[in-house]
Amino acid sequence: MNKIKSFFLNIPTKCKAGLNKTGSFFVRIGKEIAGVGKDFVSGDIFVKASLFVMGIGFFRRKQFVKGFLFLLLQFGFIYFILKVGAPNLAKLGTLGTVEYQQIWSDELRMNITNDYDHSLKILLFSLISIVIILAYAFVHFRNIKVQRQLQQDEKDGKTIPSFITEVKIFFDSKFHVTLLSLPVLGIIILTVIPLIFMILVAFTNFDQYHYPPLKLFTWVGLNNFKLLFQTGSSSVTYAYAFRRVVSWTLIWAFFATFLTYIGGILLALLINSKYTRWKKMWRTLFVITIAVPQFVSLLLVRNFFATQGIVNTLLANWGVTDWLIQNGFVSSSLSYIPFLTDEVWSKVMLILINCWIGFPYVMLITTGVLMNIPKDLYDSARIDGANKFQVFRKITMPYMLFVTAPYLITSFIGNMNNFNVIYLLTSNRITSDQLLANANASDTDLLITWLFKLTQDYYNYKMASVIGIVIFVISAIFTLLAFNYTIKSDKESRFQL
Amino acid sequence: MSVTNIKTYRRNVKMKTTLKVIAQQVILAILALFWLIPIIWLIANSFSTQTGINIRQFFPEQWTLDNYYNLFFNTDTVANFPKWFENTLIVAIFSAIVSTMFVLMVSYAMSRMRFKMRKPLMNFGIILGLFPGVLSMIAVYFILKFMGLTDHLAALVIIYSGSSGLGYLVAKGFFDTVPKALDEAAKIDGASEFMIFLKIIMPISKPIIVYTVLVSFLAPWVDFVFARIILTSNDTNGFTVAIGMYNMLDRNLINTYFALFCTAGVVVSIPISLLFVLMQSYYVEGVTGGSTKG
Repeated sequence: MNKIKSFFLNIPTKCKAGLNKTGSFFVRIGKEIAGVGKDFVSGDIFVKASLFVMGIGFFRRKQFVKGFLFLLLQFGFIYFILKVGAPNLAKLGTLGTVEYQQIWSDELRMNITNDYDHSLKILLFSLISIVIILAYAFVHFRNIKVQRQLQQDEKDGKTIPSFITEVKIFFDSKFHVTLLSLPVLGIIILTVIPLIFMILVAFTNFDQYHYPPLKLFTWVGLNNFKLLFQTGSSSVTYAYAFRRVVSWTLIWAFFATFLTYIGGILLALLINSKYTRWKKMWRTLFVITIAVPQFVSLLLVRNFFATQGIVNTLLANWGVTDWLIQNGFVSSSLSYIPFLTDEVWSKVMLILINCWIGFPYVMLITTGVLMNIPKDLYDSARIDGANKFQVFRKITMPYMLFVTAPYLITSFIGNMNNFNVIYLLTSNRITSDQLLANANASDTDLLITWLFKLTQDYYNYKMASVIGIVIFVISAIFTLLAFNYTIKSDKESRFQL
Repeated sequence: MSVTNIKTYRRNVKMKTTLKVIAQQVILAILALFWLIPIIWLIANSFSTQTGINIRQFFPEQWTLDNYYNLFFNTDTVANFPKWFENTLIVAIFSAIVSTMFVLMVSYAMSRMRFKMRKPLMNFGIILGLFPGVLSMIAVYFILKFMGLTDHLAALVIIYSGSSGLGYLVAKGFFDTVPKALDEAAKIDGASEFMIFLKIIMPISKPIIVYTVLVSFLAPWVDFVFARIILTSNDTNGFTVAIGMYNMLDRNLINTYFALFCTAGVVVSIPISLLFVLMQSYYVEGVTGGSTKG
């Protein structure tokens, strides 16, 4: 507890340190620009000219291939800006003003579409343009520095490297650039730009009533955040649904993580006990349940427990259903057990079914760690007269917690975003809570499935984006807390001394 | 203690052990049965003559192989399993190639090379990982739509492999354990970084390469949500196995296709579970990031 307290107390100092870091980052950029300025002033005519034509200095130093490539890059950039960048960036402030229309054309004797604005395209292409402009500006200004250096080298009589020598450097001292460029490009295009795009959408009114190309959407500031956090102001009850969904998400993540964790460790202990024969066979039998793809096993389980499903049929035949109804566990108006339809039943069932998947999974992961617990710890405990439960509580669990702490953190966040279990099992259930239904949510929805439903079924991208940001913030808080709390040693340095 | 006493004592201990052994096996057998009930039900249903969902008994009344025949040779507009299988296989092969390359490149650079941007890039990767993947996938859908790529297999390859570089941590953990001395010896002999990567480290990294190939090959088979976002058309010919099978359980279709769903489930689960069971030790290393080494 103390550590958690000190974590929060440390936030101001940490923020200050962070600000200082950002500050020094800008100072460095400033220095960098000043350096480029100096190089520009002190450079010869070719260095100066390369401010306007990027490759020109290379031609002077007889690096023709490089010069040509840089020239090509510059023309490509200019073409892109004229063709895509400028037209879209000009409309970024409004995200378009001309709405889609069909106009009757007397000439063609048919309806033609007007030259309308596509808000989504404007936002996306503006974003891409900004990224490209920043990247290009970086290359362009660095180039001046390179040119100045080349001039100096030439004056000092150093040999100017040929194109082939320079390419070779990218397979030796700069090999990491070669290795990283393609994967990083992929990440920028498929993760970074989409994420920034979604964050921007959170500040617009992009929903089913403002869906391009037929309609425009525009900036609305913090309105969506207000919708999600302020209660009572409107008929659509996002704020109410949000509180319900967040609390269930956290409860779910807690149970899903810790029940499976303890259960899995117990299962692993049972399988690896010295009284167990055919250990490998038992392990494989349990692993099969997680080896079957989740969309198969979970969709099957959903029908297993369906209202008219096999479990309900069998339990009714055995009289269990009647007994549950008589004792008030099931409402007397029903003739079946509402496994995945009643709110409480479905929540309990979700957690139990998750145990069904989670136990073997954790068993698999923790077996190795369990085997590694030093035997002398157990021996000394036995000599001290500890019983089995005490050994489990005082030796096994603390050791496991220490070693698998990183796994627990990722697993908690993973469970918070456990789309498959929730969606595949309960996507077709209807909530009886009208306030939740108004916000397109359901009792068993996690933030992530709510987000998914909002976009896929209701085209409500603005609220989905806000929820996405909230998921990020919650994950970040838990990660920071947990890393602060548990991880002391940097693992990579332990291996690479 | 007399000799006979010791003998009885030993026999007692032995009896106790045998009892404990039997008890353990019984407990495990009960648990395993409980865990396997849905799987058994899946297999049983795949042999059922009853095609719908209204099943009154755990085991089918009449057994048949017709479902397996229909699955492969009697396709219709709803159930086109061979086509789905082919689609998923193509996507899996290509995304396995690209992902493996990306993952190895990033993990090698992050583990064995030192450069200014290393730590910032790694921290940035952690931050990106905190955003839900579904969120970025929604925007990727629009990007692919403008490129005219949605409902195209290439789109699936792109989404499964494009940002795979982010999943570099497992392989990095492996490279971290390879001794630095190997590189240094090679460097003294005049090898470039590229040669060290290709000729020294890659040949001894077979386990992690196999692991990365298998994990990225499996992704398209088990993924549901990303494919669901990208594949929006109703044309079943473009589906992957996961989407096609989800579609079979649609409210209007389930009464005709439930047994076929179970059959498809068995067929697709066999290779996947085999792969999974075979590579479970690698898999554990992956999840715990090598912490089992202790």
